[in-house]
Amino acid sequence: MNQQDNVEPSPSQTPEAAVEPSGAVSMPTSVKIDKTFPLPAIGFCLAAGPSSSPLVYVGTSDFSVYAVDPTAEKVEARVLSENRHSSYVTGLVRHGDTLVSAGYDCAIIWWNAQTGEVLRRIENAHDKWIRRLAVSPDGTRIASVADDMRTKLWDFSSGECLAVWGDYALKTPHHFPSMLYAVTFSPDGTWLATGDRTGKVLVRESATGRIVATIESPGMYTWDPKARRHSIGGVRSLAFSSDSALLAVGGIGHVDNIDHLDGVSRIEIFRWQSGERQCLIEDNKYKGLVEAMRFAPGNQWLAAAGGNNDGFISVFSTVDGKMLAQEKAPMHVHDFEMHSPSAQAETEFSLIAVGYQQGVVVGIRNS
Amino acid sequence: MQSPQRPVASRASGSGESIPIEPGPGITGQDMTSQGIASQGITRRSILRNAAAGASAVVASDMTFLNQLRSAEVADELKKQEKRVILLWLAGGASQLETWDPKPGVKTGGPFRAIPTNVPGVRISELLPELATRMQHTAVIRSLNTKIADHGQGADLMECGRLNDPGLKYPDLGAVVARELGRLESRVPDYVSLYTATEGRRKGTSGFLGARYAPMFLSESMTPPNIVRQDSITEIAHQDRAALQNALSRRFANARRSQAVDSHTSAYQRVNGLMASAELFDIEKEPADVRARYGGTQFGEQCLIARRLVEAGVPFVKVARAWWDSHGQNFETHQELCADLDHSMSVLLDDLAERGLLQNTLVITLGEFGRTPQINASLGRDHFASAWSCSLSGHGVRGGSVWGKTDDLGQTVVEGEVGAADLFATILQALGIDHSHEYMLGARPVPLADFGAKPIREVLA
Repeated sequence: MNQQDNVEPSPSQTPEAAVEPSGAVSMPTSVKIDKTFPLPAIGFCLAAGPSSSPLVYVGTSDFSVYAVDPTAEKVEARVLSENRHSSYVTGLVRHGDTLVSAGYDCAIIWWNAQTGEVLRRIENAHDKWIRRLAVSPDGTRIASVADDMRTKLWDFSSGECLAVWGDYALKTPHHFPSMLYAVTFSPDGTWLATGDRTGKVLVRESATGRIVATIESPGMYTWDPKARRHSIGGVRSLAFSSDSALLAVGGIGHVDNIDHLDGVSRIEIFRWQSGERQCLIEDNKYKGLVEAMRFAPGNQWLAAAGGNNDGFISVFSTVDGKMLAQEKAPMHVHDFEMHSPSAQAETEFSLIAVGYQQGVVVGIRNS
Repeated sequence: MQSPQRPVASRASGSGESIPIEPGPGITGQDMTSQGIASQGITRRSILRNAAAGASAVVASDMTFLNQLRSAEVADELKKQEKRVILLWLAGGASQLETWDPKPGVKTGGPFRAIPTNVPGVRISELLPELATRMQHTAVIRSLNTKIADHGQGADLMECGRLNDPGLKYPDLGAVVARELGRLESRVPDYVSLYTATEGRRKGTSGFLGARYAPMFLSESMTPPNIVRQDSITEIAHQDRAALQNALSRRFANARRSQAVDSHTSAYQRVNGLMASAELFDIEKEPADVRARYGGTQFGEQCLIARRLVEAGVPFVKVARAWWDSHGQNFETHQELCADLDHSMSVLLDDLAERGLLQNTLVITLGEFGRTPQINASLGRDHFASAWSCSLSGHGVRGGSVWGKTDDLGQTVVEGEVGAADLFATILQALGIDHSHEYMLGARPVPLADFGAKPIREVLA
């Protein structure tokens, strides 16, 4: 890690953990798939509806955004509008009644989540395929990352482009097009992290664009110089802890045969402000890409999901990287949302994941 | 017994009677008939008689005997036209949906768009934007159905245009072209094959044509091994030795004229030529702006070597670009590899055209198969040989043409199905080589392209 500045944690964020009455931290002990539901195509991205609604929204490989109620007895995917993207939908965020989606067609679309009406459409938001969107916690800004290797900041309400940052190399060290896969805001919106194909993570001040830390995670990138002469991997997911002190970087470890996603799923957790890597997690049981991660509110554990031809949902201790519980998913998972369905002690979480032609509802429990 | 590995005659067919053979471009009808052969004192019956006469005569005559059977004028004229082939071998199997036959908007189509090209009505994948502006050079075949979706056998089939028979190994395209277009007096190799990656590496085979037409194979380095003069011998000494050998040979040959002596002398000249050709592989000899134009990838550098080789007279150069076998992350893989193909091939076509070489050079993209329309859970595509694509650019093809059609999902060929033999025949015809010419292996006629092969006339110029 190359730290450009000494950065203090955001004052509004203090470390917290779910603490049992005895004082012991409550940690999950099981991950269980409670329900599966079909999707009409590959689900690449997911945005939860308002807390009052059971709906989730899913961006898919048939260029559409669907509204899905996973709690329904018979789960159906309702297309939000026939006015679709023209390629895979790979980024989706929501604030209030507005959804914003992005895709490989380089377009960003604002939708009324209730009616499906298209509120705004920016056709050439990027010059190449948009990989992900993130929304600031206050819902005022959207960040997009794309294979033009630019990060763009947009005003959520007006659609105005507020900033363009192009701090990544367009090509890999081996002269091939690079890709900018992952983006996330810190929980208070102060920081914005992005990650590319070569394992380079930048953390910047979201208000100014000033880069405050560069993390190199080369283990996420496999270049095969001899047998196949191309590469695989990249930083596919990023997550800040609730206090912003930790940054998890997800992807895949070394792959011998890059025809397949046959490498260990890999997570590195950094104390990014000091440059210390807190732990490295490499799971050889459930292989493939780590496509999405979320810290538990107390920051003591982290949920991660992804896969190769199969999928996984795993829970790891963020202290030492120990696997706490995991479950094989029936599909490669591309994205998930996690919440605590009840206010009681944060000992039970519900996770909704989408991926290859289906979705799952998963319970994460400590009993 | 005569070895089945040895060809003993060519261009005979069927029953030994005078059978007209359709003339190829640049070849007269008289030349192309067995009557024409007969007019040179050689009949099919005599060929068979020769074949039956025994191995010794056959082995001694070897390819020289083949040349006697063919009209010397025809063969010479073909060779003088200095036609060349560069085969860009997309090893592992590139996706037709991400290259020449995009299907945007359907469930098998993947995320990429089809983009217009400079030929009205022809669209290709957006991953090939540079080639899209050069489609006036290129014919696309979208209807290959070659059935074999296994790497090894698929490569056997697509390299040779047919599968080996028991006891009979066929020559690959490079060896056939080297045989048909290479010149005996040439001081450069007839067939150079570059395959640097290790996965799926194949040397190429000259099959029954023998070692004379085997490729100069470069795998570990882009410079041929063992052709550089040893440091212990000075350049002056090397030249003196060659001059002495040449003088002695000439004196000996003047007194004892024979094919064997000519062959011996030719072999020495050839070795000296190959040694002198070492610098053809040295791209440092190119101006910096030319090297920069080809880009920094190894494939780009090898395309530049291919251009240098064909410019120097090498009839067939194969550049293998491995490895397209994208069972996982097909789209990411094609974003990388198509960028490499798109840029390197575009620069190659431009460079050939600017030097006046494209009018005599056929550039082919081909692999062992394509990839499944179905997208698997790893966002990969698997092996697929039922409906896939290749391209032919430059000499002998009707640029901008598209042959064949697959269904809406890309799962089957619905128009203009093409097999490996048909493609082989098409390539040979583009070069002015009659695909129906036959080599004789003993009493067995073996056509250059497999029996029944039909060239796609619609893509030929």
